[in-house]
Amino acid sequence: MPRFHFDIHENGCFTPDEDGREFVDGDDARKEAVLTGASIARDAFTTGSAHRIVVDVREEGVPFLKVSITLEVEEA
Amino acid sequence: MAGDMIRAALIRRLRISSAIADEDVKEIEELPIVVRQFPAETPVVRDGERATNCCLIADGFCARSKTIASGKRQILSIHIPGEIPDLMSLFLHVMDHDLATLTPATLGFISHETLQRLHRRRPVVAEMFWRDTLIDAAMFREWLVNVGQRPAPARLAHVMLELRERLRIIGRQDGNNFEMPLTQEQIGEALGITAVHANRIIKQLRQEGIVELHRGRVTVLDERKFLELADFDGRYLHQSPTL
Repeated sequence: MPRFHFDIHENGCFTPDEDGREFVDGDDARKEAVLTGASIARDAFTTGSAHRIVVDVREEGVPFLKVSITLEVEEA
Repeated sequence: MAGDMIRAALIRRLRISSAIADEDVKEIEELPIVVRQFPAETPVVRDGERATNCCLIADGFCARSKTIASGKRQILSIHIPGEIPDLMSLFLHVMDHDLATLTPATLGFISHETLQRLHRRRPVVAEMFWRDTLIDAAMFREWLVNVGQRPAPARLAHVMLELRERLRIIGRQDGNNFEMPLTQEQIGEALGITAVHANRIIKQLRQEGIVELHRGRVTVLDERKFLELADFDGRYLHQSPTL
């Protein structure tokens, strides 16, 4: 099974994923990245700790995909 | 494992939560129990199965869970020695969730028939087990509040603190150190987050000097910060007969 690493940027703050995790295929890794981004964003946006979350996924060290979630509140 | 060891944690727990009387302890000591060893991550009784026994955990950790159609699993509760996680099957015969081991476990099976006979002979024991299933329900309420309302780091801290409190009652807490033998996947399934998010909050709690989870053991680094983050009020565990 291929190994994927999920590096996370919360605002400017970068947390590398040293351990990585195995997934059956890229599709499963993509789902994990989207769900992870959404779940971190939920906490960060509601507590106000960040307004932009990026989950940067590497497959066996090579860039695989990037999920970006940004909070935009437009006041009337 | 000797017979009295099988029941030791259960009796210890009932002495604290229900002030069980000595003659009722004797009844429990004499209950016929079939002991079986289970490997880690093995089903004990599955969703949809008809149960004919209740399962007393003598050693090891178990979890109850439910899996939805997409295959995603929610861990509903974690169970430790001295608990009978499927006590409700005595009245609700067909399982509506799964019970499985987390670690290698020694489990004692008590037949429903035996328990029913004991309850008819000693109604006070029936009341005590009734109270036990009510406390179980109180823990489920707290779990629901936790997963539904707290941010993920607080959710993890709360589950850890509850586990520490329950382990303390059965004498399995060692200073500021206790067991929590869950993988990052299982922590994710318990908290309703992904394994990657679970990994992140575990790291975050360590970096902030609050608590460290390493190889299934929790070490509290800063008690005050830990309590504050977990927002834990142990009242719902009802660990006194007067509560």
